[in-house]
Amino acid sequence: MSLMRQISWLVLGVVLASLVGAVGLSALSAQQLMQTQLGLKNADNAQSLALALSQQGGDRELIRLLISAQYDTGAYEFVRWRGIRGETLFERVGVAKSGQSPAWFRSLVPIEASPGVAQLSSGWTAIGSVELKSHSSYAHDALWLALRQLLAWLLGVGIVAAAIAWVGLQRIRRPLDAAVAQAEGVLAGSYGQVAEPKVPELQRLTRAMNAMVQRVRDLFEAQAGQLLVLREQVHHDPLTGVSTRQHFLAELDAALQRDDGPAVAGLVLVRLRDLGQLNSLLTRGGVDDVLLTIVTALRAYPESVSGCRVGRLNGGDFALWLPAKGVAAETAHALSHALRASLPAFGPGVQVALGAVELPREQPSSVWLGEADAALARAEHLSESRGGFVVEIVADPGVGREQGEAMWRGQLQEAVAKQRGRLVEYPVRDRSGRVLHLECPLQLQLVEDGEPLSATAWLPFAVRARLTSAVDLFAVRLALKAITQDGQARCINVAPASLSDTSFLPKLRELLSQWPQAARSLLLDLAEAAATDHFDRLLEVGLQLRPLGVKLGLEHAGAGLAQVERLYQAGLDYVKLDASVLLGVAGEAGRAAFVRGMVIMLRSLALKVYGEGVVDEMDAQALWDCELDGLTGPWVTASGG
Amino acid sequence: MPTYPVSLARAYRLSRWWLASLVIAPVLALAAYDASRVLEAAAERGPRVVEQAQALVQQIDRSSAQDELLRLRDMNDFFNRRLTFREDIVTWGMPDYWASPLESLDKRAGDCEDYAIAKYFSLVASGVPTAKLRMVYVRARLQGQSLAHMVLAYYSQPGVEPLILDNLRSEVLPASQRTDLTPVFSFNTEGLWQGTSQVTAGDPLARLSLWRELVAKVKGEGFL
Repeated sequence: MSLMRQISWLVLGVVLASLVGAVGLSALSAQQLMQTQLGLKNADNAQSLALALSQQGGDRELIRLLISAQYDTGAYEFVRWRGIRGETLFERVGVAKSGQSPAWFRSLVPIEASPGVAQLSSGWTAIGSVELKSHSSYAHDALWLALRQLLAWLLGVGIVAAAIAWVGLQRIRRPLDAAVAQAEGVLAGSYGQVAEPKVPELQRLTRAMNAMVQRVRDLFEAQAGQLLVLREQVHHDPLTGVSTRQHFLAELDAALQRDDGPAVAGLVLVRLRDLGQLNSLLTRGGVDDVLLTIVTALRAYPESVSGCRVGRLNGGDFALWLPAKGVAAETAHALSHALRASLPAFGPGVQVALGAVELPREQPSSVWLGEADAALARAEHLSESRGGFVVEIVADPGVGREQGEAMWRGQLQEAVAKQRGRLVEYPVRDRSGRVLHLECPLQLQLVEDGEPLSATAWLPFAVRARLTSAVDLFAVRLALKAITQDGQARCINVAPASLSDTSFLPKLRELLSQWPQAARSLLLDLAEAAATDHFDRLLEVGLQLRPLGVKLGLEHAGAGLAQVERLYQAGLDYVKLDASVLLGVAGEAGRAAFVRGMVIMLRSLALKVYGEGVVDEMDAQALWDCELDGLTGPWVTASGG
Repeated sequence: MPTYPVSLARAYRLSRWWLASLVIAPVLALAAYDASRVLEAAAERGPRVVEQAQALVQQIDRSSAQDELLRLRDMNDFFNRRLTFREDIVTWGMPDYWASPLESLDKRAGDCEDYAIAKYFSLVASGVPTAKLRMVYVRARLQGQSLAHMVLAYYSQPGVEPLILDNLRSEVLPASQRTDLTPVFSFNTEGLWQGTSQVTAGDPLARLSLWRELVAKVKGEGFL
């Protein structure tokens, strides 16, 4: 029984006990008083009657008359004249009146008054005794009435006392509930602070909890700070601050793999030509300044557009990843303009070549880099003949399906309405090869009898048409059905756009409450952006869905995670680390150290950590050594069984 | 919990009282005259009373073996000899005070009802049934004056002429020879304590009359 309930019962018990005790005690003492008084009245009446009868000179008729008169004018059960040998000479007896009090009350609280006896004499001669007893029904009536009034009063007082006790309990209950909620939050990985209550004991408890939470936060922030430093060292070129070659390639691979990117994207390569010659022309510091100028121009893109990536591939080669269609050529030209304006200040020897490509994202990174290199080579070739700044663009991916938004919208709506879709299943395994859950990206059959298409094909249009919430709900429904059939935990991606749709959460809750059992095996992946950009929405999702047993996690989590200031409050269950931080961990100790740091930090928040997009066994082994809880990716899918 | 042994001890003590009262109560209810209690009560009043009380106890002892007429005479003489007639206002400082036998022996004085009371309870103590005894209010004519008086009447059989024990005349005489006395009203302890006697014995509300109060007092002194 809960503490509050125990106290409530205790208060109720005390109030009831005092009520019953008071009524019982009062009834008992009133009964005693009535009994004594009635007995005394009997005795006194007998005495005074005897006094009168003793003056009649033994005249029997007169004595009978007086007894009758006494009986008729008073309330007596009987008045009896006994002779000297105890025999009854004359008596007046009436039936006992029942009165107003109920019979059970009369038998429960009997009033047994002793009859009054007094001696009679006529002159010196004893002529017996007189014995009389008054009716006790009126005493019962008085007692009954008094007790009912008392009970009514005490009930009133009891109700007031209970009400006051209730208010008092509420005063204790609120801070107690807050403390319990905080404790539960800590257990669930949400480190929130609460206001200190005024009750001293609870105040101390809450103060201790708050201090503990603060310590966890400090610890977390310290770890996050260390991770940021480590990330700078491992992922970023020390001179320019952009991604190193290895990290950029990992980022590129991850960007190509993820299913929520555009169908067609762009890549721009920038080369500072003749670096060796420049080194001799300018001082070392001068070359660094040139490089920094180029990086400044490139950095404008990731700073303003999320998803853009900049890397220094080597020496004077830079790469810019553009996750959008039809912007590669424009960007290359804009860059060239910007550099043309700023670089001549360093002297005539500074030459830059730019190559841009636009390709379908499904092409492997080797094709991307090859095509871009080819474009850059052509630009260099041209610049040898022309000199100065040259831009070469290969911008015909040949996939630009020019279709109207209305058509996409119709097809998407139809596919969802007719439930033309299926979940593809990729296992997430733990170290022993056991399947933890299945990652289930949705494939939609946009055209009847057509090929099911992965999210890469339709997600950008769904986002633009604001249909992601309907699509996500469809995917969740499919997953719940599948879980009901085989009991296997499944994971569904939820688009960030769905979270900003206000009707999404209520619909999702309703859907989940239809499959309460299956909901416990459902995992929902939210993009890292949900934590960095829409933290309040994330909190709301956690509050609404976690009570239903649904597990929440972040996917594609990378370096940005260290910047989420209140991750300890988010109340998440797991985090999936992005392939961009995982690829190549086997080959570089620094990357592995970063991953290990992430795992330690996330573990301290009671989060499970999974790795995404693992492609080879070396990496997988290195990640197991970093103590990840589970892995997914092509290698995992292929090696399983 | 520090209260535990205390409450246990209290419960034990209470239960001892309870047990004791269980044992004593029937004795008390049955006990009529108790010489040791009379002496105890006398000891509380002082050594002078003890002496008197011892004499009384011996008298009661002697009397209980004699026949009732002899008892009447001896007891009548015992008190008529030992007590001096004195008004209550002089002895007790109040116009009317009903004294117990020991109180009267303590003061060695009493007025008419104190004589009657002392004789009544001493006779009852010696084994005379209360039904045979009555305190009687009488009008006495003394030297041409009429005064309120109280005597003790003894009925050897129901309905017969009683014998009168009085302090005005030292011999025990039949009522018919006491033409100086006119009876008015009589009473005794019959029926006084019937029914709920145990309950009302300690009840202050039950001692509302002088007679009842006196009877309770005398009971406490061991005569009843």
